[in-house]
Amino acid sequence: MNGVAVSVLIFLFLVVTVLGFAAARWRRADLNSLDEWGLGGRGFGSFIAWFLIGGDLYTAYTFVAVPATMYAGSAVGFFAVPYTIVVYPLIFLFLPRLWSVSHRHGYVTPADFVEGRYNSKTLGLAVAITGIVATAPYIALQLVGIQVVLQVAGFGGSSGFVKDLPLIIAFVVLAAYTYSSGLRAPAVIAFVKDTLIYIVIIVAVIYLPHKVGGWDHVFSTVQSSFASFNKQNAGAIAAKQASGKAFITPPIAQWAYMSLALGSALALFMYPHSVTGVLSTKNRGVIRRNAALLPAYSFLLGLIALLGFIAVAAGVKVTNPQQSVPQLFENEFPSWFAGVGYAAIAIGALVPAAIMSIAAANLFTRNIYRAYFRPNATPQEQARVSKLVSLVVKLGALVFVLALSKSFAINLQLLGGVWILQTFPAIVVGLYTRWFHRWALLAGWAAAMVYGTWVAYDQASPVQKHFGSPLAKFPFTDTLVYIACTAFIINLLVTIVLTVILRALHVDPGVDATSPGDYVADVDDPRVEPEIDPHRPAHA
Amino acid sequence: MSQESARSPHRRSTGLWVLIVLILIPPVVIPLWVPLYDKTDPTLWGFPFFYWFQFLLILCSAILTVIAYLLSLVADRKDRGADR
Repeated sequence: MNGVAVSVLIFLFLVVTVLGFAAARWRRADLNSLDEWGLGGRGFGSFIAWFLIGGDLYTAYTFVAVPATMYAGSAVGFFAVPYTIVVYPLIFLFLPRLWSVSHRHGYVTPADFVEGRYNSKTLGLAVAITGIVATAPYIALQLVGIQVVLQVAGFGGSSGFVKDLPLIIAFVVLAAYTYSSGLRAPAVIAFVKDTLIYIVIIVAVIYLPHKVGGWDHVFSTVQSSFASFNKQNAGAIAAKQASGKAFITPPIAQWAYMSLALGSALALFMYPHSVTGVLSTKNRGVIRRNAALLPAYSFLLGLIALLGFIAVAAGVKVTNPQQSVPQLFENEFPSWFAGVGYAAIAIGALVPAAIMSIAAANLFTRNIYRAYFRPNATPQEQARVSKLVSLVVKLGALVFVLALSKSFAINLQLLGGVWILQTFPAIVVGLYTRWFHRWALLAGWAAAMVYGTWVAYDQASPVQKHFGSPLAKFPFTDTLVYIACTAFIINLLVTIVLTVILRALHVDPGVDATSPGDYVADVDDPRVEPEIDPHRPAHA
Repeated sequence: MSQESARSPHRRSTGLWVLIVLILIPPVVIPLWVPLYDKTDPTLWGFPFFYWFQFLLILCSAILTVIAYLLSLVADRKDRGADR
């Protein structure tokens, strides 16, 4: 165990804990309403939103997993960069509409919008359940991120319970301040997290390549090391017992690279936690301005991905590629700075875990509890339920990671991306037109969910029999593409065909609760009635 | 279709919005056009083309998104003016 590094890690964790609890007093308001607890009063400006959304989308797991795939020899992992380029123009165009209609109608979750737009609690339920099951393993993966850091730091004992104790403590503390401060807690902590991450990465990408002999050397070492791996294991690769390594995306994987980037970009802002981040902003302009400012994080992510290559060049040898970057810090940095690096990743896990659990809890409260069990639940009751559910969700994630296998969480996270994209037609297309029939949307969603799950289950890799890869052959071709994209196409086809049929049969499409003006309303817009009072309970 | 009426009642800025969408097309399309940049040469400061081009794309699309944002401010101002 590295004493200095661990002390720095613990110190920074304590700082964040104090901030998390103190956040309840920041922009003081009655935290017993869901708008305040779950959306921070819908009042965050550009500066806070930048940290919050950035801290939310670029998770600790991203920071561990992306360089891990590069380290393991898959340049396709760099798709994270085009993915986070493509996502911002889409956010710029789509999400202000969602913001406006949500503001007008007091919607807290994307499922609220779908329910109101299509007059269908069932469709809202489908969106809510998809959101919850896609988010839960994502939270579990944040824990995996912390775990990796703790392992490299040599934290905890060797026996079962003692080994897991630091992780349990970290999560209990996180659960406690999320419960008391709501979305304000991650908003405040995100400052610390992102400052640490930026410092660590900027230092890392300047100092480390210099230390190992320059970028030139990094890339050429990686290239020759991958080439010699491929040569030595040519037989195994041909027999599909091992995967070949590539230093840039091989031509055969271009469709995979493209579809992973596109599918992930479309899926990203369907995740309930990104919608929560967006709805917590105070006006439409904040979202657009942030779409222009958030690419700074993409740049960071690209650099972080390359840390995987630096680890190869620096001769880091780990069996679990996820440990490559923490191990790189351990080997190359002075102890105290390695501690800062660990803290950046570990705290980086807390922010998204908090936001995700809040988002999942809001979905449960609004679209399951209130929709089906307590239609007249007061805002106070909703906030109470959400707080409790956020605890349950985090506990579930903890049990998941500790009791079940870690690869199970990773498999489910892979499925989560496939699943969440299937809510796109109902949400995003719904922001523009109500032409899709509600039952057609439901059928398209169901077909795509079944197809996506089944195909993902069917993918074998050299190490796993099932869920071996996010890629599968596109039907009737030999081209590998991201399963989520194929499922999405099926979703759209089913939805379109059934919409035509249901419309021809004059099946009741339900009554739209929203009106055209709702989609362009802004806070200071003269067309908006002074309904927008943050203290007024949603759906009063 | 209902979105027609959603867009039109107070909007003077349709032309500007067309321009904004046009500006935002390259940041979506070029990163997805993988064969365009999936090669090693020319290298820059030791970075293979594949890598430095994508970093460059981040910068360019950020700049285009900033322009789109500024145009959207103008568009919003126009629309608001139309109401008064």
